Amino acid sequence: MLSYLTRRLTESFLVLAVMSLLIYLLIGLMPGDPIDIMIFSDPEMTPAEAARLRVLYGLDQPILQRYLAWLGNALTGDFGYSRLYNQPTLDILLPRLGNTVILMGLSFILALAIALPAGIYAATRPQSPVDHAINLVAFAGISMPPFWLAILLIILFAVTLGWLPAGGMGDGRDGWDDLRHLVLPVLALTIATVGGVIRFMRAAAIETLRQDYVRTALAKGLSGRQVVIGHVLRNAMIPVVTILALQMGNLFSGALITEQIFAYLGMGKTIYDAVIGNDYNVALVGLLLATLTTLLANLLADLAYSWLDPRISYQ
Amino acid sequence: MRHFILTLILAAGLLATAGSLAGPSPAAAAEELRIGISQYPTTLHPSREPSVAKSYVASMTRRPMTVYDQQWELICMLCTELPSIEAGTAVPEDLPEGVEGAGDGRGIALTYTIRPDATWGDGTPVSTKDVLFTWKAGRHPTAGIGNLELFRRIHAIDVIDNKTFVMHADRISFEYAAINDFRILPAHIEEAVFDAAPEDYRNRTAFDTDPTKRGLYYGPYRITEIVPGSRVVLERNDTWWGKPPAFDRVTVLTIEKTTALEANLLSGSIDMISGELGLTLDQALAFEKRHGDRFNVIYKPGLLYEHIDLMLDNPILADKRVRQALVYALDREAINERLFEGHQPIAHTSISPLDWVYYKDVKKYPYDPAKAAELLNAAGWSQLRGGIRYNAAGEPLQLEFMTTAGSRVRELVQQVLQSQWKQLGIDVRVRNEPPRVFFGQTVHERRFTGLVMFAWGSSPENAPRSTMHSEEIPAEENGWSGQNYTGFKNAEMDELIEAINLELNRANREQMWHRLQEIYAEEVPAIPLYWRANPYILPKWLKGVRPTGQQASSTLWIEDWTVEGR
Amino acid sequence: MTIPAGKGLLAAEAAQARGTALTVRQIFWRRFYRHRLAFCSLVFLVLLGLASAAAPLVEFALGVDGNLVDLFAAKQPPSAGHPLGTDELGRDLLVRLLYGGRVSLVVGLAAALCAAIVGTLLGLTAGYYGGRLDGLLMRFTDGVIALPILPLLIILAAIDLGKIGLPQALVGSESISLYRIVFLIALVGWTTVARLVRGATLSMKTREFVRAAEALGASAPRIMLVHILPNVVSPIIVATTLSVGGIILLESVLSFLGLGIQPPLPSWGNMLTSAQELIWDAPALAVYPGLLIFVTVIAFNFLGDGLQDALDPRALQGED
Repeated sequence: MLSYLTRRLTESFLVLAVMSLLIYLLIGLMPGDPIDIMIFSDPEMTPAEAARLRVLYGLDQPILQRYLAWLGNALTGDFGYSRLYNQPTLDILLPRLGNTVILMGLSFILALAIALPAGIYAATRPQSPVDHAINLVAFAGISMPPFWLAILLIILFAVTLGWLPAGGMGDGRDGWDDLRHLVLPVLALTIATVGGVIRFMRAAAIETLRQDYVRTALAKGLSGRQVVIGHVLRNAMIPVVTILALQMGNLFSGALITEQIFAYLGMGKTIYDAVIGNDYNVALVGLLLATLTTLLANLLADLAYSWLDPRISYQ
Repeated sequence: MRHFILTLILAAGLLATAGSLAGPSPAAAAEELRIGISQYPTTLHPSREPSVAKSYVASMTRRPMTVYDQQWELICMLCTELPSIEAGTAVPEDLPEGVEGAGDGRGIALTYTIRPDATWGDGTPVSTKDVLFTWKAGRHPTAGIGNLELFRRIHAIDVIDNKTFVMHADRISFEYAAINDFRILPAHIEEAVFDAAPEDYRNRTAFDTDPTKRGLYYGPYRITEIVPGSRVVLERNDTWWGKPPAFDRVTVLTIEKTTALEANLLSGSIDMISGELGLTLDQALAFEKRHGDRFNVIYKPGLLYEHIDLMLDNPILADKRVRQALVYALDREAINERLFEGHQPIAHTSISPLDWVYYKDVKKYPYDPAKAAELLNAAGWSQLRGGIRYNAAGEPLQLEFMTTAGSRVRELVQQVLQSQWKQLGIDVRVRNEPPRVFFGQTVHERRFTGLVMFAWGSSPENAPRSTMHSEEIPAEENGWSGQNYTGFKNAEMDELIEAINLELNRANREQMWHRLQEIYAEEVPAIPLYWRANPYILPKWLKGVRPTGQQASSTLWIEDWTVEGR
Repeated sequence: MTIPAGKGLLAAEAAQARGTALTVRQIFWRRFYRHRLAFCSLVFLVLLGLASAAAPLVEFALGVDGNLVDLFAAKQPPSAGHPLGTDELGRDLLVRLLYGGRVSLVVGLAAALCAAIVGTLLGLTAGYYGGRLDGLLMRFTDGVIALPILPLLIILAAIDLGKIGLPQALVGSESISLYRIVFLIALVGWTTVARLVRGATLSMKTREFVRAAEALGASAPRIMLVHILPNVVSPIIVATTLSVGGIILLESVLSFLGLGIQPPLPSWGNMLTSAQELIWDAPALAVYPGLLIFVTVIAFNFLGDGLQDALDPRALQGED
C-alpha cells in the first residue's frame, strides 16, 4: 500500500510539473506583457524606463530560463504577487478555493441526494414509466447549457419574484444573507450536474443488481428491501466514489460558469479574471491548484475503493 | 454500515457549512452608507497604478494638495493657499547648472504650506518630512512607483519649517500651482520600509501589507477592513480636521456584474451605485424608467472623450476628404437621442464644452450624407458596385473598425456606425478584441489598420501633447512611448502645443486653444463621438453628492453628503 | 427514499433466469419508445438544419435585413413584421437566431468530426497494439477526461496566435475565431470516440480476417485502416453523435465567455452574452438562444442513444 501511495504521489507531482511548464509556456504566448500594459497607462514612460523595468521583472530572458526561475521560487513556497490585487498569489487564491469548494461541495451533495435514490429506483423498475421519466430528466440535465440555466434562474427568482439576490456574495456580517446569496449558485450547479450523476447511478445500480450475490440473496429469501440496503447500496458506493473523481473536472468547469454569472468569488472566476486581466501569476497558480485538486480527488477515490471493496488491494 | 457513515459525514458537512456562514449579527444602529461599484482597486498605494476604483476609495481617506473642483477651478485642499505670482508666493527663477527645463529655460519656486491641522490617523501631523519622502520615493529609479512627470519636473525642495516648503520646478507652465498628482505618503510608516529595500518597496508597502493601519490615512475616513476583490470598509477618522462627515461607516462593495449591482440596490444590500464605476448609461436610463420613484439618477457628462482614432498611415485615410466624409456620414445626434436619451452630448473636438477654453464656433459636422458622398467622389471613390464604392484602380473602400470586446454599449454604437457608413458605400469590417489585447498591443503599438474606438480621460485645460504632437508617435525605435496613435503630424499643431502650457496670459491662451481646435476639426485625425456621462444612482434620502465631471472623484467632498428623511 | 418491493426486481431477475432479455412485449415497447424519441430528434434536427440554411430566404420573406440596425425598433415584442420581436439594436430576432444556428451547427459538426478523427486514430492504435501502449493511451485519456477542461481552454483560447508564428493575414481574418474553436474542441473532445473505438478494436483484433491479414504479412497501419476501421464504423457514428451535444455546449460556453465565436458573427452562445445584461429590460432575448441550444443538444443526445440501440445489439441485453 505504501509503495502504491508513493508511486501515485510521484505521478501526480510529475503531472503537476508538466502542467506547470505547459501553462507557463502558454501564458508566455499571451498578447502583451506586463510592461506593455504599464506603458499604456503611463504615457510619460520613456523607452529607457521601459527597458529598465523589463530587466527588473526579468522579462528580457528566454522563456525557459524564466520558467526555471519561477519553479525555483515555487519550490520554496514563493508564488509571486498578483498584479491585479498586489497581494501574494496564494493569499488571493486560497480563500477563493475555499469558496469554490463550498459551492462544489454543496452542489455535489445535493445532486447525490437526488441522484442516488432516483438512479437506484429507476434501476429496480426498468422500462417502467418512472424509469423513462427519470431518464428523460437526466437527459435534460446533461443537455442544459449551464449558463442559460443560471440566467433563467436569475430571471425567475431575482427579477420576477424578487426572492433571491441576482449575484454577489453577501458581506460576511449576516449569516442568513450569505446563505441567501448561495442558494441560486448552488441550485444552478446542482441542476447542471445532477443529470450525469443520475445516469451514472442508474447504470451502476443496474450492473450491481445483475450480480450473482443479489440473486443468491433473493433466493435465500431476503426481501427486496433487505437486498437493496444490505448489498446493493454498499456496492453502489463504489460508483459514487468513481463519479466524484470523474465529475471533479466537470464540476470545476460548471463552477467556473456559475461563479462568472453570479459574480461569486471562487477559483473559477478568479482564474478567468486573471487570464482576461493579464494577471499571469494568479492564472498559472490557480490552474495548478485546480489540477492539484482534481488529482487529489482521483487519488482519494482510488484509496476509497480499496476501503469499500475488500477484493481490491494495491501492492 | 457504510451508508450510516455517509449520513454522518453529510450531516457534519452541513453543520460545518452552516456554522461558517453564520457570522456576527448586524452592528448596532450607526449611520452607515453602502456604495456599490463595479471594479476593485488593484492596489491601495496612492501613487502606483492609477485606477478609477482606487481613486474613488482613496478620496475618502486622503486629500490632494491641489485639485480641480466641480467648476473646474483649481483649489487647495491640503494646502492653505495656492501659490501665485501676483501674491509673491510663486517666483520665477533661473535654473541652476545641470537642470534642463522647457520653454524659455526658466524655472519657478512655489511656496506651499500644509494645513496646520492636517494629521495622520495615528496623531502624527502631516509635515514636510512626508513631502520630502514622497519626492524621494517618486524619483527613485527602481522603486517602480511609476514615473510621474511631476516628480521629474521638481528639481529641488527647500523645507522652511515642518509645514511650509518651497518646490522648485524646472519650467513655468500656466498651471504652475497644480500639483494634483503629488500624493503625500506617510514618512513615519513608509520610509523605513522603503529605505530597507527600495526595489521591493512596491511589494512591502504598508498600504498593501497592512492597509488597516491608522497612520496611513488623514482624510475623513480610514480603512478598517478589506477583502480583496470584494469590499473595503471605512470608518470615521478621529483626526480629521474638516467638517465631520454624516456617516460613521462607509462600505464599498465590488460587484462586477451590473445586473447584480442593480439587484443588490433594489433589495437594499447597497444604498447607491457610484457613477464613476457603475451601470452603463442605457442600463441607468432603463433603471430610471422602472424605479425613478425610489431613486434619483444624476447624469454627469464629463471628460471622457469617446472617439475613433484613424490610422493616418493608411492611404485611404490619409486623404482628408475621406476623413471628413466619414464624419458627415454619421448621424451622431440620432445616436445620442435614441441610445442615450440626449445625456451624452456629441463632441466636436477633443475639448469638452464644459472646459472654459472650448471654442463654440469651431467647424461642426452635422449629418449630411450628400456632402459626404460629394467628398468621397472628389477623393476618387466614385464607382459604386454592389453597394460598395471603388476607386479608379478597382480597390474597394474597405476599412477595419475595432474596439474593446465585451463592452456592450461600444459594440452597439459600433454596429450603428457600421450600418450608417454602409449607406454611403463604405465597407466597414468590425473586429473586436478584449481590452488587454486591444490596449496592451493593438492600439499602443499601432497595429490597427483603420479605425479604433475608445475613450480618453483627461483633466481640464490639458494640452493634447501626448496624443497630437508629432514626436509622440509610438514606434519601435522609441520603445513605443507616446500616445499619438493616429500618427498625426502637423507643424502648426506642434508649435501650439508647445506654446500653450507656457503662456501665462489667459486671453492669449484662449486664442491659441481656439486655433488648436480649428486645426483638429479641419484635419480630423480622429472622429469625435460624444462625451461619456456617468450615471449616479442615489437613494432619495442622500443629498449633497456632486460629481465633478472630471478625474476628481465625487468622494473628495464626502463630508458634504447628508441624510435627509431616511 | 422509497425502497421498492421485491416484485419488479424479481420479475426482471426471473426474466433473465429464463435466458431471454425481457418479455417480447417489453422489448418491443422499449424499442418503439427509444426509436420514437430518436426519430423525432432526427426530424427536428433536419428541420433545424434546413431552417438555418434557409436563413436568407426567411429574411427575404419577412422583408427585413438581419444586419440592419434600427434603433427606433429596439427590444420590441413580437409583431407581424417580427415574429419573435427585435433585439437591442432593432434587428429581427428570428433571423438572428437562424444565422446563429448556422454557425453553431456548422462549428459543432465540424469540431465533432475533427474530434472523431483524432479519437478514432487513438482508439485504433490503443486497441490494436494493446499492452503498454494501450495502457499509456488509456491513462492519458483518463487524464484528459479528469482535467478541469474549461480553465485550460480559456487559457488556450486567449493566446496570441501571432506569437506562435501564424501569418498576420490569417490572424486578422474574420473566420479565425471559427478555426480556433474547432481546433480547441478537437483537442479535448475526442475521448468518447477513442474509448468506444478502442473497445470495438479489441474485439475485432481476435477475429479471423484480421489474423489472416496478419499472417499474410500486412503492416499494422494497413490492418487498422483497411480491415478494422470499416468494421468499427458503427461505434464511431454512435460515439460521434453522442459527442456532438457536448461539443455544441462547449462552443456555446466559450462563445458566451467571449473566447469563442466573436461578434458580429452571431452564435447562440454569444447572443447570450449581451442578453444577460438586459434581463431586467428584455428577458426574452436571453430565453430563445439558450432554448435552442438546449433542444438541439438534447436532440443529438436522444439521436445518439437511439443509434446506439439500433446499431449495437449487445445494448439490448442489459442496459446502457
